[in-house]
Amino acid sequence: MASPRPRTYAEAREVSSSNSELGWWVFMRISGLLLVFLVFGHLWTNNIVIDPATIDYDYVASRLAQPGVRIYDTFLLFFAMLHGVNGLRYSIEDYTKRPGRRFWYKILLYTVSAIIFVLGTMTLWAFTYQEMGDAVRAIGATQ
Amino acid sequence: MYRGREGQWAFLLHRVSGVAIALFLLLHVLDISLVMFGPDGPFDAFLAFYHNWPFRIGLLMVIAGVVYHALNGLRIILMDFTTWGVRYQRQLWYGVLGLTTAIGVPVLWIVVPQIVGGI
Repeated sequence: MASPRPRTYAEAREVSSSNSELGWWVFMRISGLLLVFLVFGHLWTNNIVIDPATIDYDYVASRLAQPGVRIYDTFLLFFAMLHGVNGLRYSIEDYTKRPGRRFWYKILLYTVSAIIFVLGTMTLWAFTYQEMGDAVRAIGATQ
Repeated sequence: MYRGREGQWAFLLHRVSGVAIALFLLLHVLDISLVMFGPDGPFDAFLAFYHNWPFRIGLLMVIAGVVYHALNGLRIILMDFTTWGVRYQRQLWYGVLGLTTAIGVPVLWIVVPQIVGGI
């Protein structure tokens, strides 16, 4: 790295190339703190309390039928995706030297992440499971 | 190679675990989204792949990465927002490793028999 890592908000403000870069610096710390609790809770529920090898469609359907789980998972999805994709962006910027490649790697990252984020949000909110079954059967009937 | 001390390894482990977690996150959202195809869709078949022991061992490594990344992230927050964090960063890192082990061993105690029982 070209310069030592910023240690304080004032230092981060000095070395950041833009306001948005400073915003991400702050975001990584706030979202990171939130994610410690969100992710540990998620792992406790789905890996420790139950044997994850028993997870099947019925288990996921029964979990996502609960509004509390949907809201919890929405926060988890939102913060984990932003924190994770921004972290991947840091990695691309650190290890990809050629500007052209850097640009296209980031375009690829943002495109894939956006699609996956939309899919995840749809899974949580767009359908009830009855509607999903009906939709799938309707697709099956047209074929 | 740059011969840094603990701080360098703390950074490297944070970077490697972070990339692994982020890539698994993308895969995980995709696999859960398969429930949108309904009870007769591809979800259960896809999960059977997740339940294989090689994948579960890989997953265990990602979870270990999550524990390290979370605790080292707290160390970074302490370094950035306290007056004493940087001074004690080395001790904090050993604390991170110790806590990761302290959490990891009981988790292995629960999860390894599950994996062995499933083979």
